[in-house]
Amino acid sequence: MTDQTSVVRQMVWKDLQLHRPHIIATLVCGAAALALLLLKHEGSTYFGAVTFFIALILVGCLLAASNILNERKKQTLAFVMSLPISSIQYTTAKLVGTVLMFLIPWLTLVIAAIWLIAVKGVFPHGTIPIALIVLTLPFVGFCAITAMTLVGKTEGWNIAANVIFNSSYSLVWPFIAGTPSLVGDLGKKEPVWNGAVLTFLGCEFAAIVLILAITYYLQSRKRDFV
Amino acid sequence: MGHSFIISQSDKRPMYLQIIEQIKQRIAVGDWIPGQQIPSIRQLAVDLEVSIITVKRAYLELEREGIIQTRHGKGSQVAQAGDLGSRLREAELAQHLEQVAKLGTMMGLGFGDLEERLRAATDQVFDKELK
Amino acid sequence: MNDLAIDLRGVSKKYKFFSLDKVDIQVPRGQVMGLIGPNGAGKSTTIRILMGLVHQDQGEVRVLGRRMPEEQIAAKWDIGFSSEDLRLYEAMTLEWHMAFVRSVYSTWDQQYANLLLKRFGLRAEQKMKGFSHGQRVKAALLLVLARRPRLLVLDEPTTGLDPVARHEILRELMGAMADEERTVLFSSHNTQDVEQISDQITFIDRGRVIDSFDKETYLDRWRRLRLEVPPGIDLPALPGVIAVKQQGRIAIATANAFEPDLPNAYERTGARVNRVENMTLEEIFVANVEHSREEVNA
Repeated sequence: MTDQTSVVRQMVWKDLQLHRPHIIATLVCGAAALALLLLKHEGSTYFGAVTFFIALILVGCLLAASNILNERKKQTLAFVMSLPISSIQYTTAKLVGTVLMFLIPWLTLVIAAIWLIAVKGVFPHGTIPIALIVLTLPFVGFCAITAMTLVGKTEGWNIAANVIFNSSYSLVWPFIAGTPSLVGDLGKKEPVWNGAVLTFLGCEFAAIVLILAITYYLQSRKRDFV
Repeated sequence: MGHSFIISQSDKRPMYLQIIEQIKQRIAVGDWIPGQQIPSIRQLAVDLEVSIITVKRAYLELEREGIIQTRHGKGSQVAQAGDLGSRLREAELAQHLEQVAKLGTMMGLGFGDLEERLRAATDQVFDKELK
Repeated sequence: MNDLAIDLRGVSKKYKFFSLDKVDIQVPRGQVMGLIGPNGAGKSTTIRILMGLVHQDQGEVRVLGRRMPEEQIAAKWDIGFSSEDLRLYEAMTLEWHMAFVRSVYSTWDQQYANLLLKRFGLRAEQKMKGFSHGQRVKAALLLVLARRPRLLVLDEPTTGLDPVARHEILRELMGAMADEERTVLFSSHNTQDVEQISDQITFIDRGRVIDSFDKETYLDRWRRLRLEVPPGIDLPALPGVIAVKQQGRIAIATANAFEPDLPNAYERTGARVNRVENMTLEEIFVANVEHSREEVNA
């Protein structure tokens, strides 16, 4: 008898295989956006970064929808649930799979950003902390959307989650921009890891942990899995 | 050992009776000889695509009639009784005769009438055989 | 290890417009249980509960000795499940699905899988979206059969299939029974299939079990008697008879607890018994449902 982590792993791998076209597409788009950034032209730098940021968020939303909702829509859920897994393991497999798919474009962007700043010097090194903070936001948002879609089970919840979290960026950015302790050291040659920055990053991390905890709690309370 | 039983769903008789009849037939014509190993209940059920309980019932009935015997660990065989084939034929004839008697009574025919009809039928069969 | 492959006791489940009411079902190991009932009777719900996919509101569920849904993971290692509304991944091939199942279950028998591909007439390299309905059903069944699970739970395995496909499936289901450790539970409203391969039959209607017997005993209890009733004779209610339909001098009595003396009992009342007929499971099905609904409404 194979052990349970192996079953979860097979399920994650299955989902990755099912989304291979999406994954390849995001890799290609990511590479294209990166190439654009390398042109070092002021206009194209910003254009590339913003486009990529938006594309990233869109990809995230589509992935959560596709990987989670399709099992129900396309009626493959019974096939999956007849496998030797519990609903908690199913939750894990879906979360891990969806996040892994999102990580590919996200990590590309983070690496590109850090490289542009630290190596190419497009922006002063003082911008590194803020870059990390800003780039982690869509990841937190993505986790929240994925969790809500998984627990809510329907497209309605997925749309609601998208609306809530994608529009919340417009609240968070002004907050960040208006906090001197966060943006005060942007021009410096070296990154400044002050209390505010660390607290913000800590909150983002805590938010992810909280989202996961709530998700598992709500999933464990469910009595019907199909 | 091959066998070609057909269990028909359009046959109004219960499946277990059809199985019994076809087994008796094979013994009567000599395809299955006394002492011969016959398929186990489970094996026959799988081959016929019929529930095990049905084959079990057929075998139990055949065992009760002394036509087959099942020994634990050795499966089932056609009973060793030497005159099994002719015994089965006798039973079949008795059944037909009973039906003739019943019908005759219903139609109001006496023994004499029946005798006449039987003679006519026998003559017909002999004529056919000669040809 | 429990002798019962499936043991449901007092299982109830309430939905908005439908509820399962104190369902009792026992299936001993090594038998085939056929679940019959009209659409919406609760067959699928019962099956989901015994698969641990739905949690019962009340009652005990044990499958292969494991409590459901608490021990469903352990149970599902040994259960092969398929249902009529189950779909596979359209963009992927049958071969991909076989590889996936093989990667999860160590009991996968590739030789048997290849044999099934041939017998079912399926092409492993074809994508699921190119399969017809019948091929899809057979593909899902192949994925389940090739694992040789100890328990097969099938929700409408032959529904909507042509006679050839139906026969192919019944053949493999009975083939599985060559191993006396294996058990099958399947639901169907195709009474022919149930009548043919079931050892036990359970009738469900409107969320309740209305009958559960071994098939041979069950078929033996039901008879249809064709009667001729002379004028002036009123047919009495006789024990074991659940329905009498009379038009003029011709009457048809349906008995669900037939005794050999019943025809004589009718003759003693003055009626004449023309024929005593066995009933097919389909006829029993309809008569049983009608009768039980009358009883509930009375």
